[in-house]
Amino acid sequence: MEISFTEKDLQFRDQVRSWIKNDYPAHIKQKQNNGKELSKQDIIDFHKALSAQGWMGYNWPAEYGGTGWSSTQIYIFQKEFGLAGCINILPFGVGMVGPVIYTFGNDEQKKRFLPNILNFDTWWCQGYSEPGSGSDLASLKTKAVKEGDHYIVNGSKTWTTLAQHADWIFCLVRTETTEKKQEGISFILIDMNTPGVEVEPIITIDGEHEVNAVFFADVRVPAENLIGEEGKGWTYAKFLLAHERFGIAVVGASIRQLNILKEVVSELNNPNLERKITELEINLNALEMMELRLLSDLENGGHPGAESSILKIRGTEIQQRLTELFVEASGEFALVYPGPHGHSDNHPSGPEHAAKSVSKFLNYRKTSIYGGSNEIQKNIISKYILGL
Amino acid sequence: MNLNYSDEQQMLRDQIEKFCKSDYSFEKREAIIKSENGYDLNLWKMFSELGWLSLPFKEETGGLGYGPVELTILFEEFGKVLVVEPYLSTVVISGSILDNSNFGNKSKFIDTIISGEKHISLAYIESNQKFDHLSPSTIAIREGNNFIVNGMKSLVLNGSNADHIITSVMLDDEFALVLIDQGVSGYSLNSYSTVDGQTCAEIKLENVSVPSESIIAKGDDAINLLNEAINLATLCISAESIGCMTACYLKTVEYTKGRQQFDQPISNFQVLQHRMVDMFIETEMCKSLLYKAMLECDSNEATKFKSVSGLKSQIGTSGKFVSQQAVQLHGAMGVSEELLIGHYLKKLVAIDSLFGNSNHHLNKYILG
Repeated sequence: MEISFTEKDLQFRDQVRSWIKNDYPAHIKQKQNNGKELSKQDIIDFHKALSAQGWMGYNWPAEYGGTGWSSTQIYIFQKEFGLAGCINILPFGVGMVGPVIYTFGNDEQKKRFLPNILNFDTWWCQGYSEPGSGSDLASLKTKAVKEGDHYIVNGSKTWTTLAQHADWIFCLVRTETTEKKQEGISFILIDMNTPGVEVEPIITIDGEHEVNAVFFADVRVPAENLIGEEGKGWTYAKFLLAHERFGIAVVGASIRQLNILKEVVSELNNPNLERKITELEINLNALEMMELRLLSDLENGGHPGAESSILKIRGTEIQQRLTELFVEASGEFALVYPGPHGHSDNHPSGPEHAAKSVSKFLNYRKTSIYGGSNEIQKNIISKYILGL
Repeated sequence: MNLNYSDEQQMLRDQIEKFCKSDYSFEKREAIIKSENGYDLNLWKMFSELGWLSLPFKEETGGLGYGPVELTILFEEFGKVLVVEPYLSTVVISGSILDNSNFGNKSKFIDTIISGEKHISLAYIESNQKFDHLSPSTIAIREGNNFIVNGMKSLVLNGSNADHIITSVMLDDEFALVLIDQGVSGYSLNSYSTVDGQTCAEIKLENVSVPSESIIAKGDDAINLLNEAINLATLCISAESIGCMTACYLKTVEYTKGRQQFDQPISNFQVLQHRMVDMFIETEMCKSLLYKAMLECDSNEATKFKSVSGLKSQIGTSGKFVSQQAVQLHGAMGVSEELLIGHYLKKLVAIDSLFGNSNHHLNKYILG
């Protein structure tokens, strides 16, 4: 057994650190340091900067314009970005639809969509959940009916993250009513500017506009936007969910938050809170090593599968716990409702982190729900690991 | 980076696993516990022949020179079937102290451990110490070429079988470890069962005369030997508890699949499925902390003691959680003495109490 990274991997890590230090957009760093809200343009600027460095396709094979990095390099890259508090790389293009297109799409589709993902000229969003289809995703009802060389799409999607900024949406739609509900599903790409597509904001309990409802009324989608075969969408969706799960432990970001929390609490003289933080730290140590165990397995020819559900469950539990302890550290000042972003300029005195802490605490309730709820993850472990 | 076991380590695991599966049934274990010695002399001889008693010793002292990884493999497998043989006290604790010391006679004593002839136990706990084991009230006073030891030691693991005890004493106002033979004049012993089916003893030392060449170490050397040995032993029992937890969730899965209630196997119920998933996750997280502690054994003092404290703190709470759930999901069968499952709970309670419980190690982690 050998825990240390190779010299080459360490050099790679230094390269990532150096980019973050020297090339991470300065105006974004400044806003983040001052706790200011980031605009749509800031997020685009960040992704464009990554593109310029050639790192946008950090998890893609080289033949599609990706970095061709090893799993260890991807791990290091994600961890360093988390540790440094960089903006999250939006997963919808590069993490989700991109791999589906290069794995199941035709040459024309690869040529048309992949470069725009890598240079972030297209902002993608994900059209999976529907008002009546959450964990039971395969029960989805949005219909696509073939009419000549178009599909006519009717229905609605919900909880669509950042759809208000998106140029395109990838959707699971029902192209056929089959006995087995998984079999009639297809995977289709829709331009958000197509007539009949409507986006309505959904405001979450933190006052934020992050998710949306998306409505489709007789939306005409060219048939060439269908990925792979009609009726095979469920297979592609499962492939995508597997992609989404890896890296969801967000260990780097949680270590960063833990260190900030320790600093905040060090001034409070609150041994009870310090104990809770220590228990959390030990849990985080375990999660970090759990991820390394799976990485090692992957790098040595193994095929970790359902084990990554542990990362999702524990990773999100730790993220949520961190926000709870930040709120606890805010004491009485957790009373004040911060409003969107926790950036209200008009908040009372008290700890500086208080408003943001409550905001994030409320916002992070989503983590155990998205990406396959933690209960669904437990079903996966129960079925595929314990054989129940 | 490679966190997989080497082929050699895998072979060792296979060998130990095979022994545990074929030679250590629940009935046999029960008989061993009820026997006079509380362990099986033939099995101990077999451990010696298989080379297991020489695992951690340095090659120059006749051992296989294996490290913590191999020891944790052994303990994890032992934990799955709750082996009661006194490997921890004789081989790990006393072995580590002797092997790392500059004690002149150490080869002679290590040889008798490796051959399975003798047992040696560490006597370092006294009542009212509150985990501070470095200021014993057991005193050694020089008298000519010998010294006279007076004191009372508690919770000496495998004490009644020990041919020698490594005893912590204050000698010339310094902490010291001395080797005392069982049965010398002034040596009396009272043996008890532990909650996990092993034995421990109270040992009274009244004007015991010990030759000065029996001093293993003094001062900082002695303190380091003790700390290193306890740290390694803590790592080992943590691995053992992971073996217990693994057995707990596997046996619970098996049991619920076979148990019919409401006209179906109770494993069909999601509330039970998720409970078993929680048991599994808890076990895997502990295993991850074990990897961390195991791989940091060669790090600096602070790091290695801290990572073992993190591990032991988690083991204490997780072990009880997993085994209590195993008992709960077995229903009333879980609290029956005739079923193995309740014995895992007992073992995990015992492990939490040994070498500092969860709370103690959390404090240590915070201070460390």
